[in-house]
Amino acid sequence: MSKRQLAMVMDLNKCIGCQTCTVACKTQWTNRNGREYMYWNNVETYPGKGYPKNWMELGGGFDASGDIKAGTIPNLEADYGVPWDYNYESLALGETMLPNVEPTWGPNWDEDVGTGSFPNDNYFFYIPRICNHCTNPSCLSACPRDAIFKRDQDGVVLVDLDRCQGYRFCIAGCPYKKIYFNPKISKSEKCILCFPRIEKGLPPACAQQCVGRIRFVGFLDDEDSQVHKLVNKYKVALPLRADYGTQPNVYYIPPTEAPVKFDAEGKIIEGSNRIPAEELEKLFGSEVHTVIKTIKSEIAKRKVTGKSEILDLLIAYQHSEMFRLDNNYYNNIAKSKGLNAVAPVDQRYLKGLNTKTVSHFSLNAGGGHH
Amino acid sequence: MKTEFFKIKTAFSFGFLAFTSSTLFAENIIATKVNSSFEGIETSNIIKDLKFTEISVYPQKTIVLNDKSVAEKNSQNISKIIKVSAIYNDSDIAFVIKWQDRTLSIQEGYKTDIYGDGFAVQFPKDYSDPKKLPYIGMGSENREVLVHLQKAVPNIYEPNGNGNVELQISRNNTNYFDEELKQFDQNVSNLARIDYQKSFVSAGFRSLTEIKDDSAKVDMNMVYNHNYGCWKGTLSRKLKDEYINLNSPSFPVAFAIWDGDKNNRGGTKLLSSWQTVTLDGKTGGEVLVSEINNIQTGNLENGKAQFKANCIACHIAGEMKSAMSFMAPDLTNIGGYASSAYIRESIIDPNAVIVPGYNRNAHKNFEWYQIVDGKRISTMPSFSWLDENITNDIVSYVQTLKTQIKEEKK
Repeated sequence: MSKRQLAMVMDLNKCIGCQTCTVACKTQWTNRNGREYMYWNNVETYPGKGYPKNWMELGGGFDASGDIKAGTIPNLEADYGVPWDYNYESLALGETMLPNVEPTWGPNWDEDVGTGSFPNDNYFFYIPRICNHCTNPSCLSACPRDAIFKRDQDGVVLVDLDRCQGYRFCIAGCPYKKIYFNPKISKSEKCILCFPRIEKGLPPACAQQCVGRIRFVGFLDDEDSQVHKLVNKYKVALPLRADYGTQPNVYYIPPTEAPVKFDAEGKIIEGSNRIPAEELEKLFGSEVHTVIKTIKSEIAKRKVTGKSEILDLLIAYQHSEMFRLDNNYYNNIAKSKGLNAVAPVDQRYLKGLNTKTVSHFSLNAGGGHH
Repeated sequence: MKTEFFKIKTAFSFGFLAFTSSTLFAENIIATKVNSSFEGIETSNIIKDLKFTEISVYPQKTIVLNDKSVAEKNSQNISKIIKVSAIYNDSDIAFVIKWQDRTLSIQEGYKTDIYGDGFAVQFPKDYSDPKKLPYIGMGSENREVLVHLQKAVPNIYEPNGNGNVELQISRNNTNYFDEELKQFDQNVSNLARIDYQKSFVSAGFRSLTEIKDDSAKVDMNMVYNHNYGCWKGTLSRKLKDEYINLNSPSFPVAFAIWDGDKNNRGGTKLLSSWQTVTLDGKTGGEVLVSEINNIQTGNLENGKAQFKANCIACHIAGEMKSAMSFMAPDLTNIGGYASSAYIRESIIDPNAVIVPGYNRNAHKNFEWYQIVDGKRISTMPSFSWLDENITNDIVSYVQTLKTQIKEEKK
């Protein structure tokens, strides 16, 4: 376990599936050098097969007794999809628009498909996914070369490309399939939580660019961070598939608001909800019912009193409140290692005061909130 | 590695003997002295009429890795015979290794789940005490090994540290067209390393660390013969460098091969036990040769009974599966790749060789060692209290724990 843990909260009630986060990540990190097929950030439609296809069925993570579970390495054509492009240059010459490879699958292949019968009870919602920077990362445990490490200062899980030999046991080991094989360099690569940005005072690109303002970023032990409040204080944010046993550090506000269902005559079924509770329970565990209750009662409270701190947090008024990075902290680490502390490029999200007051080792601090 | 290794379609003049089970006991490899240089050895005449020694390589079974496809494709693996020959001159030594692999596998193209065939040669850093050689699985603490690896992986674009960031962008992000774009592609492809040849130092599985400077310079090649369906690997290196000194009457060596078609990589491989090489014309290496190739004789029946009484509560071994999975190293093939000295040492002093092993968090219920005062202490208690005859019987029995040798006709 790292000394501190940087975490992200995503509010699924507000995700509109616009893929701006996906594009922000792609243009920043994965549009080149063998990473073309990778989506360190993707937004998938649930229910759906997701990306890579059927990732929830591909194994990995830990079983109930704590043994790492065997997994499968997805196939590029069948499970990820080969990135394709079109012959735009030839269109002016009168040619038909054609993809350069036959598309087989992609990061948003089954976008907006969902399930149920229209218009009575069909439904879907979006789940944006990045690496969970787990407290108990199974990619790290699976690596037979000690090539994956979890940074002490913020719990970011990274691949040491110097040590990685491209065996891909990490990919089999990750239950979220959020670590990828780069065939060009024959090594594994993954989401780095934009650590070069974070250290300079900028939130990860996916969070910064999110038009729905659904992403909160901060240290779990920083009691003033909205991440801490949503995860630990109000307990309305839950990890995805915690049953995999990796203790993920991306938390989700489950989708509490969904339209009502219609009966066979097209009449509203009062009190119904299109998203089945058992589906939410599968994704977020049994605590999801408590979270839904809490949020619904906060909505009711707000209607009467006009006040609710949880809803104020979820409305996400200011980026400067949603992102609480800690440049002083990173600078002090850099100084202690004799490195040049980098001046922040953006002052808006810096607080940095909490490092003087927070104990990194108290039972309430740091990663393992499970 | 020559890039044409996968293009070669005609038979070579070296006669390929059928891979049959004529070798039951380890044989010494005799390196003959030649006067020529080893430049271009993979196609040179000097390796034409070499005498080959047959060596058995066994599937690594000590640990189980977490890839489902590996388990499916390798569950029926039995041992294979590889043929090894060695020559040396005043400054260098070369090995030629031939093994049958009917499925040519090259890790190339934009793919996520294919693997290349490959081979590795391992030397102990210190072999002054042949009873205390490094652990066969890439060494152990204070008993380091040097590993040379060659994989059938062409065109690797590893981060080169040259700072040529202008060539590390997507071609779509350039503002080039036509000829300029072709030139850009050419410049990018010039960055490729076409030879997946690596040298490592290691003090135990998981500690393997690549030597990235030129201090362990070797020349390795793999040539595939389509007619015979077999690989010929060559390794030539200095007899002495800053890591090891092989300029000695005899020294130990070990080999491993990977079958990419069976998703072999890393610990999923076939490996030999420590073998011995003697440099022809030098005298005095007999002790090492006899010690490493020593087969413990004892009462096998009693050895098996004692093994059942003392060992299988923790260790799985072939059909003896009463121990829980991941509780202790699997001994199914241990006789195939461990020497009698190592087996004896492990029984009497389990703390003598403790490898970092897989990440202990992968199977945290059964940690194979504890860290006490910065030292690894084995979970296994010492069995030094056993009567020496009983220990002998157990060692002799454990040496028989290995899969059969593959009967493969031409």
